[in-house]
Amino acid sequence: MAQNSFEVDSPPASEKKKSGRSRTWTRFGRYAGTRIFALAVTVVIGVYLTVIIANMGGYVDQIRVSDITFTVNARLAADPQFRVLSPENKEILRNAQLETEIGRLGLDRPFIARSFDYLWDGISLSLGRATFMTSNSGSSQVKDIILERLPITVVLFVTANVLVFLCALLIALALSRKYGSFFDRFVVAASPLSAAPPWFYGIFLIMIFASVFGILPYGGMIDAPPPQTTLAYVLSVMEHMVLPIIAWFLSYLFVSTFSWRTFFLIHASEDYVELAKAKGLSSKSIERRYILRPTLPTVITSFALTLIYAWQGAIITETVFAWPGLGALYATAIGQYETGVIVGLTVIFAYLLAITVFALDIAYALIDPRVKLGAKAGGS
Amino acid sequence: MTTQATSTLLRTENLRLYFRTTQGVVQAVDDVSFTMPRRDALAVIGESGCGKTSLVRAILRLLPSNVHTYSGNVFLNDIDVMKLSEERFRTNVRWTKMSLVAQAAMNALNPVLRVGEQVAEPLIVHQRLSKQAALAQAAEVFQLVGVSPDFLGRYAFELSGGMRQRAIIAMALITRPDLIVLDEPTSALDMLTQANIMNVLKGIKRDLEQSFIFITHDVSTTSELSDRGMVMYAGQIVELASAEQFYLDPLHPYSAKLMASIPTLKEKKELEFIPGQPPSLLNPPTGCRFADRCDRRFDKCDTEPPLQQLADGRWIRCWLYNK
Amino acid sequence: MKTRFAKLWQTARKYPTIMMSVVIISVLLGIAFYAMISIPFSEAALLWRGAENIWEDTPRLAAPIWFNAFRSEKLSETVNLTREDALITEEAVSATIRKETWVYEYDFPYATFPQEMKAFFTVSADDKNPLVKFTWVKPDGTTYQLGSMTASDGSRYGISADATVSREQFNNQPLQVELYRDPSSTTEEPAVLNGTYQFIAEVYHFTDSSEIEIQFVSFGEVYGIAGTDHLRRDLRIGLLWGTPFALMFGLLGAVGSTSITFLIAAIGSWYGGWLDAAIQRICEVRLQLPTLPILIMLGTFYSRSIFLILGVVIALDIFSSGIKTYRAMFMQVKNLPYIEAARAYGASNMRIIVRYMIPKVAPVLIPNFVTLIPTFVFLEASLALLNLGDPTAPTWGKILNDAYHAGALYRGYYYWVLEPALLLIFTGLAFSMLGFALDRILNPRLRRI
Repeated sequence: MAQNSFEVDSPPASEKKKSGRSRTWTRFGRYAGTRIFALAVTVVIGVYLTVIIANMGGYVDQIRVSDITFTVNARLAADPQFRVLSPENKEILRNAQLETEIGRLGLDRPFIARSFDYLWDGISLSLGRATFMTSNSGSSQVKDIILERLPITVVLFVTANVLVFLCALLIALALSRKYGSFFDRFVVAASPLSAAPPWFYGIFLIMIFASVFGILPYGGMIDAPPPQTTLAYVLSVMEHMVLPIIAWFLSYLFVSTFSWRTFFLIHASEDYVELAKAKGLSSKSIERRYILRPTLPTVITSFALTLIYAWQGAIITETVFAWPGLGALYATAIGQYETGVIVGLTVIFAYLLAITVFALDIAYALIDPRVKLGAKAGGS
Repeated sequence: MTTQATSTLLRTENLRLYFRTTQGVVQAVDDVSFTMPRRDALAVIGESGCGKTSLVRAILRLLPSNVHTYSGNVFLNDIDVMKLSEERFRTNVRWTKMSLVAQAAMNALNPVLRVGEQVAEPLIVHQRLSKQAALAQAAEVFQLVGVSPDFLGRYAFELSGGMRQRAIIAMALITRPDLIVLDEPTSALDMLTQANIMNVLKGIKRDLEQSFIFITHDVSTTSELSDRGMVMYAGQIVELASAEQFYLDPLHPYSAKLMASIPTLKEKKELEFIPGQPPSLLNPPTGCRFADRCDRRFDKCDTEPPLQQLADGRWIRCWLYNK
Repeated sequence: MKTRFAKLWQTARKYPTIMMSVVIISVLLGIAFYAMISIPFSEAALLWRGAENIWEDTPRLAAPIWFNAFRSEKLSETVNLTREDALITEEAVSATIRKETWVYEYDFPYATFPQEMKAFFTVSADDKNPLVKFTWVKPDGTTYQLGSMTASDGSRYGISADATVSREQFNNQPLQVELYRDPSSTTEEPAVLNGTYQFIAEVYHFTDSSEIEIQFVSFGEVYGIAGTDHLRRDLRIGLLWGTPFALMFGLLGAVGSTSITFLIAAIGSWYGGWLDAAIQRICEVRLQLPTLPILIMLGTFYSRSIFLILGVVIALDIFSSGIKTYRAMFMQVKNLPYIEAARAYGASNMRIIVRYMIPKVAPVLIPNFVTLIPTFVFLEASLALLNLGDPTAPTWGKILNDAYHAGALYRGYYYWVLEPALLLIFTGLAFSMLGFALDRILNPRLRRI
């Protein structure tokens, strides 16, 4: 056999010695550490901003103070013993009472000083008590109020968002192979429906199905009075979920499918996808291993963020459908100047987002070998 | 994968591939007919846009979505594979009878799958081998192309450009298809790597029974590899000759100019160039398509010359040699 | 340049959605201009605020008049009569007292009863205000003696609320039902008597200079081209003027947001370093803040001025995912060889950004900008639905909000909801379709397919 002058490439010997695993984990740990720190800073700043805005630079305090003044005056005026006092004594008593009240709520300290206390409270999730609002169970703890409503929003909006996401993804994958087909063109034609938000379609749906035809409820989560059996209860909730979910689909399904389909189409023009086709792999196999797997990081990011934004972006939809969830809570809390609840909701959201972003980064590292091993390893 | 008694591996008849574009219909492959015997290495030479890559797509049925016309016959082992349904083509022909070494292997490997898996994939899909058995064969072909089997477990980005190209070649070999098409296998590589790859290819050609089609615009690199050379111009074959005939004595004015534009190591010569540009494939001229740039044209060149076989066996499309 | 437009036009013709969008947008622009020209804004704002007695002569919650085109049984229309329509005679009753008789005669060919009837008086009298007595004559001649009152300037007489006529006689039906009832129908199931009705007001003037103007209104169930709302306001005003508002909000918001985002992304990606990092961090922080609650908080605690809200929305929009997308594109462009060449020949940073980088990425800008317009249009409606809209501005969102809070859906006042809603969706769809089509044309990545 004649000598061949081509080289045989092998990985350098030094690389083989150090275990691949430990190398990965140290870099991993450093990466995770920096990410956590960056995220923590972001959370702190975000919460502080919310505290500032929610208290509107002390404006809310003024409202509180005038509220208190009014209450104190009213109480004193109604007290027969007060009336017999001399004007000076009245004045003294009134001021003393005001001081106590204001001091009790800590409103005598300047806002800036208190804002850091609020910040700390927010971050440590000691959300305190609400001034006016209470949960259905009677607790005025902000945490209870929020937690009570959380599952209600989750039930509807996580379901809606997950359904839209999965449907869009699966349809888009199938469509990416059928460019120009009828379904493809239909999805493209229907995507401008995303112009209108879900609550808008909700109004129409309510008008048609609840008002004109009367086959579905106007809103709310459950029939009044609520059904007794668990099965009937569940069915009733599901019945109330139909219109909101349809509204959600009308607004988001087509544009989601459209953007995933475009994304996959662009991806399908990659050289390795062509080669996969030339290799004679089945369409299913190509979809799974050559289109979906390389784009998995993007898909997962999208999914995670969908989940997170699911509950917070639905304030008006919840209002229109009278769905007693966190969105409606937001609107009510703001209407009642309930800053504790507002800050609490925003803080929880900030935490959820930070955790999701962090989890995503870890997930990227595990899925995408380019991140896991660092794209600099090996030759170039 | 079965070798048959016939000596003709590939025969195309009136192969046409036209694309629909916003400016009109591009007649990329225009009535191409040729034959390839077994164990042949054919170099398809031409400048950019002459239709050679489209010819690859036409033969391998790798069609984009804007196809206007795709007609003709492609006989592989005397079976017209053009008539097969997409599914039959996929299971019976793709990679089992014909495989492809893509241009610019940088992007031809899936970045999130291990290289070994991808190389072994055709065996798993077409021959239903188990993953271990397939990987074992992958290790073998890796040896053939000169890559250590240690790299089977690596990812594409961990390989250098040359290694990736070799991995692609290995992937094309693994099912031992009858025909391997290499689309510009070395044009994206630096000189040294080119030389290495060329040696790999030479080794494979010598040791294995496959037939090869090399698509290239670089005449010199294929001179050592090919048994025959086919020159394409403006979507048509203009000359098809044995390597000797072609490299030593190109007849067609275009081929002659091509050879004259290549510097040689031993001789000292004036490099020539071809003035002008190839015609647009949107509206190919009615006569000989090279006539505008040919310095030997005469009045007959206003009509399109047919592809004819000469006494010495070569095919030529030129009125100068018309019998 | 001209040929480029010609080419663009040719491409545009191939997309029917573009043609449709252009038509709809032209119509909307037409309506907007018409609104601004025919009713100056100050007047529109005044009308919309519905101060005092502006809308006293329009019915409450009346459907649009063209509803009757689809009905065999016509809904009662609003009858509004003034001096020109009256037959006025005068006679002297005594030396000092003058009687002026106003006879309003009108046809009533409808099948349903009106909501109410009123008479409005404009009086100028020195000492004593005139006394007015009212009579009602049905087409079949039945006459009802209604009450009487002293008319002062700006006073009104609620005909259908006249207490002097006892309701018991006719089964406690409202007076306007009885006044229009066909005697052959029963009081339990009254039908309208069609024919010519007469409303007679006998005015007794006590001074020579005493003068009176009487306006008679029978408030029907339909009125006007768009109907009325719960405050009797003609919806036409709100719908007309909602158009320029929607367009302005949408365009300003989209333009402001897109252009500034683009600019900041370009500058950040070009200069890199701490500027780029700072912009990225700001975006990350902002992404944790929920947009709508911030707007709600601003509107509740601070101010509802439409410009403030718009400004804040734009600011929030800028520092979100838009910058990341554009930045990625600019990063790609930044590494192109001809940018390097520009630096080599000594081009200033600003020049490179403006002359090279921006034009390369700009085509993507256009579809994004167009698609953003409906977002802003609906945002205004969203805020209005949360009672945060500018309270003085007549916008579609405000109409929708009023309708929703008045329970229009439950009570069947569909026109009240449909009119602003349909306008909203048409506007939204027009821009959205245009944006999507433009994206297909201009997005370079899509051309590969």
